[in-house]
Amino acid sequence: MLNILMVGNGQCGNRILDAINKQAFGGKTKFAKFYSKQKFKSRVETIVINTAINDLKELKHTKGKDRIHIPHLHGVGANRNIGKSVFTENKDLIMRQIEDRGRFDVAFVVTSASGGTGSSFTPMLIRELKERYDFPIYAIVVLPFREEGTLYLQNAAFCLRDMRDSGADGIILADNQFLKQLGGDIESAYNGINDMIAERILFLLDALDSDMMMVTDLGDFKTVMDGGAGLATIGFYKADKDVPVKTAIQKALSPSGLLFSTNVYDEASRAMIIIKGDKSYLSIDDISNEVEKLASAVGHVFKGIIVRNGEYPQVLAVLTLEFASELEKLYSVAVDAIQHEREKKERVDSKKEINKAFSQLDGLEPHY
Amino acid sequence: MVKLSRTFLLVLCSIVLLTMLSGSASASVEYFEEEIKIGDGYQINNYVIDVTDVFITDKLAIFKVYENGDNEPIHDEMIGINESFNFDLENGEIELKLLSVGSGVLDRASVLITVRNVDTYLTGIVNGGHEYATYSGTPVIELTKTVDEDNIMVDDIITVTVTAKNTGDDKATNVIFSDPKQEHFILDKSILEQTGPMSMDVGASQTVFVYMLKATEAGSFILKSSTATFSNSANQAFPQASSNTPTITVTAPESLEVQKYAVLELSTDVDSMIVARNDKITATINIKNTGDAPASAVWINIIIPQGLEYVDGDSAIEIIGGVPKIYMESFGVQGEKEYPYTVKASELGTYTLTTKLAYEYDDGVNAEAQKDSTESVTENIYVQKGKYDELLEQPIYVYALPIIAIIAIGAWIFHRHKQYKF
Repeated sequence: MLNILMVGNGQCGNRILDAINKQAFGGKTKFAKFYSKQKFKSRVETIVINTAINDLKELKHTKGKDRIHIPHLHGVGANRNIGKSVFTENKDLIMRQIEDRGRFDVAFVVTSASGGTGSSFTPMLIRELKERYDFPIYAIVVLPFREEGTLYLQNAAFCLRDMRDSGADGIILADNQFLKQLGGDIESAYNGINDMIAERILFLLDALDSDMMMVTDLGDFKTVMDGGAGLATIGFYKADKDVPVKTAIQKALSPSGLLFSTNVYDEASRAMIIIKGDKSYLSIDDISNEVEKLASAVGHVFKGIIVRNGEYPQVLAVLTLEFASELEKLYSVAVDAIQHEREKKERVDSKKEINKAFSQLDGLEPHY
Repeated sequence: MVKLSRTFLLVLCSIVLLTMLSGSASASVEYFEEEIKIGDGYQINNYVIDVTDVFITDKLAIFKVYENGDNEPIHDEMIGINESFNFDLENGEIELKLLSVGSGVLDRASVLITVRNVDTYLTGIVNGGHEYATYSGTPVIELTKTVDEDNIMVDDIITVTVTAKNTGDDKATNVIFSDPKQEHFILDKSILEQTGPMSMDVGASQTVFVYMLKATEAGSFILKSSTATFSNSANQAFPQASSNTPTITVTAPESLEVQKYAVLELSTDVDSMIVARNDKITATINIKNTGDAPASAVWINIIIPQGLEYVDGDSAIEIIGGVPKIYMESFGVQGEKEYPYTVKASELGTYTLTTKLAYEYDDGVNAEAQKDSTESVTENIYVQKGKYDELLEQPIYVYALPIIAIIAIGAWIFHRHKQYKF
């Protein structure tokens, strides 16, 4: 059994981890925690960290003892500099909480790249973990909607850079901009994205610690994540009817199945495909054909098959990227945003001259 | 003479000695020393000892004892000086001792008569002997009380006459009459009252009381007896004589004879004869005075059988010693009241509700309050199974398990809630 640490930083990381905990209960209702037990194959310890206490209170499926509040007003206000300072002040508290949970084989740290607490805490936390432990640590990073504003884009750009510098063993990208195709109102869109990420993470955790017909394990996952530019994304498809496994694999690798916009056949470096379902649906020829097709493009593909009687086929694909054109676009926009913010600040500074006009009235009183 | 004096001294010493010796004895002893002439006698009660002959030279004397004047002596004795003879008298004994004989116009004998255990009431020398003695008898006073009317009305007057007659064989002396007060009557007039003391010869008749009594209340009354105390000619007291005791029946005047009654009619109604277990039954006690006298001290006891439970009722109903009761000081003529109360059917079965009523009233005739009581019993009330009785008849685990499960679920939910609370 694997010992897995999952940390969710900031509002986004908290909610994704809460969604993972909820889905681990198996039930779809919010009352599942009262009558069900979490169905993790491994020993999974989940910890959510936030400076905004209201964000922690909103969580429904994460135990109270697993919610760590770092007191600083009601958040750091999307200011990564403040966030880093707060983390430094509370580093011992956070690390002690993790240390108290025991030994781990792998860790996942989930965060948004654009917010304040998550984007500032996560690189520093990974750095601390890497200094203290030798298990692999992967970051699951959610990129912002492009229209969310210059601050978020700026944060995302610097966060990703810090993340790469932190020593993380891999960064799995999920892009809100790409996932907004889900549609619906803003709340249901966010919840849908969180549930989508949670479903993939749970599948991945299940695959890393399951008895398989064809085995993929943590070592294979590490090998995949070590390839490419240290960036990765996840594709997933879950058939809700009698869909051929071949189609399911194709859909998992298509844009609709991925968390991040990429052409896997052009940009992927290594891949791991795990297929789960009733063996009657799992045609080995179809699976081999599709895997071979992918392998011919990306090089090496790890393949795992989990037999689950009566279930329709589900496919999870972990793909590391050699390069990410979408990320380049993001950085291009981010640079513009940084420029925009700098110019704005300069303009604000120049407007301070207006104080001179007011200073002419010093010592004078109105006469009527 | 000297000899006589010595003899006398000897006798005296003997008397003193005997007195000393017999000081502690219970028997009575009397001594009579007499000189009796020939032809005379000495009487002790109704006995006479005649001295019939005295022989001076032979120092002898002959004595004859007669009883009640009979001519035939019961004893005939000749004794010498210092000799004696004894004979029984009544319950005692007489001893006669010849002390001396003397001569004279008529010879005489000196005797010492010792009387033992005899209650002497008549003693002394009888001149001429027993034929001239006076003998005592037994007077019998018969008292007769008569009334002129023995069935009268209240306030009527009767005349009471008491007559006395000596039907004995001796004169009654020191006769004293008395007549006690009569209860239930008052003395209206006293016409004659001879209470004595007086004497009544043998056969004599005397009216001693005549008085008039007035009846004060109705009833049958016995007049107390008149009495007479008396003695015989020898002053012997006799037991008190009593008269007869006439019975007088006194009836009340017409106007007082109408008796009144308080008649309390009692009934108990219930609103339902067939009820389910745990349902309530409302019973109503109806009480009505149909008599012509008011009732007082009215007690109503409501008897609730086992299986039914008293719940509540009219404010007049009090629970005393576990029994619902109603008390009323008075209940007027033609008065009518209702007392509703509620009972709960707690057990299956067939029941009746009993109401007991006790009361008193003044009937206008008798001084004491009249008491009466009655009771009413409802028709059968059938208590059947209730709506949820089937549930209650299930084994305990049927109820316990769900409760335990609910508690366990509740505890689990509470635990989980605390676990996930922040």
